[in-house]
This record gives sequence, structure tokens and C-alpha cells, in this order.
Amino acid sequence: MTPPTPRIVVPSSARKGEVFTVKSIISHQMETGLRKTEGGETIPRKIIHKFTCTYGGTVVFGVDLHEAMSANPFIEFSLVATESGRLEFIWEEDGGGVYSVSHELLVEQ
Amino acid sequence: MRLTRREMLVSACCGSAAFAGSLLFPPSAHAEDEALNFVERTLGRQATMSDRLRLIMPAVFPTGYTVPMELKVESAMTEDDYVRRIRVFAPQNPLVEVVSFAFVPGRSIARVSTRIRLAKPQDVVAVAEMNDGTLLMTKTWVDVATNGCA
Repeated sequence: MTPPTPRIVVPSSARKGEVFTVKSIISHQMETGLRKTEGGETIPRKIIHKFTCTYGGTVVFGVDLHEAMSANPFIEFSLVATESGRLEFIWEEDGGGVYSVSHELLVEQ
Repeated sequence: MRLTRREMLVSACCGSAAFAGSLLFPPSAHAEDEALNFVERTLGRQATMSDRLRLIMPAVFPTGYTVPMELKVESAMTEDDYVRRIRVFAPQNPLVEVVSFAFVPGRSIARVSTRIRLAKPQDVVAVAEMNDGTLLMTKTWVDVATNGCA
């Protein structure tokens, strides 16, 4: 099975003070812990339970995901372009898996 | 057996009493009370229904596995007036808590989009916590054709 693959769509630049949109997605089964195998055994829960976005080292947006989030969780959100810097997107999985993507944003005056 | 006039009168009275009852307690007021009570039981605090918080979902959707959901709050998102977080609940799901979004004033906007699982048709409930501790809530009815939690 391919490992969870995260992807981000975000502009490469923005004007200072402008609001820009980020689309994030990670391929993940998001096993709810409610399904059973044909033999009747419950398939244990395994989901991405946290998503964090940092900008220039500060957390600017965060999400706590529970079992009722769809598979391949898609989250679209909007940030304010404050200064040029690195955006980091981090997904944390049950069991300790961590996946991340980063992006350098250029902010013009 | 023929219906007697007495039997017809009794059933007519019961029918009109039920009709009058449904006018006094319309389904919309009842559903709102249920949502308010649900939030109070779940969060231990009272929330107020508010139009500032918008929960946008399709009224009808063919699958319960990936129901689109958009949330937005009318807020300046400055230190004086901002949304700390928005929590979403599906009271008819086996596990009712769906997701919680946290925002930062001056950095993120109180607007998000995602996709959620719904087990059956229900009122999805959203609660926004403001910087001053106020809880705003709203709900929207979504009719899904399949159980997205199975």
C-alpha cells in the first residue's frame, strides 16, 4: 500500500496583507474503527488526527480531525500574507506517523 | 362493522388535536431546541443560534462518505474580535465529533472547506467559540442516501 501522500496547492507569491487560499489533501484511508472484516473482526481505527500549518515558524491554523472526516481528508483554508517566509504543513497520524510538505511564499510590498 | 357516528367524531377530534399540536410546536422550533440542548450537553455550556456563523452543506447528497462542508464566520479576525475555533458535530453519527478548526487573529481567516462522513440524514451542528468566550452555533439539515460511517 502506498504511504500517505500529502499535496498542497498554494500561490507562490502574494501582496502584503492579501488573503490567499491553501488547498491541502493527503491520501489516507481514514479507518474509522467502525468497520469489520468479513470474519467479523473490527478493523482498528487509524486516522490522520491533526493538521497544522505554520508560517514563519508560528502556528497560524490547526485542525483536529475525528473519525467522521472523510477518507483522503481535504481541507481548504485562507491565510493572510504577512511577510515572505516558509509555510509548513504537517499531518499527524494515529500511531505516530508524521507527514509534511513545505512551501516558500514570496510576499511583495 | 359499520363506523358509528361516535367513532367518527372521536377520530376527527384526535386528528384536529394532532394538527393543532403540530402548529403550536412546529418541527423547526423543535429541531432548534434539540440542537441547542445537544450543544449544552456536549460542551457543558450554552450557545446562541447566530447568523454570523454559516454552515453550508447540500440539503440532499447521494453519498454519506464525502459530504462537502463549508464554514464561515463574519469576523474581523483582529485581536478585539476573532474566532478561536469552530467545532462541528453530527449528532446522529456513531461518533458525533467531526472536526475542530483553530484560527489565529491577523493570520488566518474564519473560513474553511472540507468533506465529512454522515451516517444518516440529520442536522449537522457547528459551534464557533469567539475570543470573548461567547459560543455561536448553527445547524443545517443534510439528507444523505448512504451511511458514510460503515
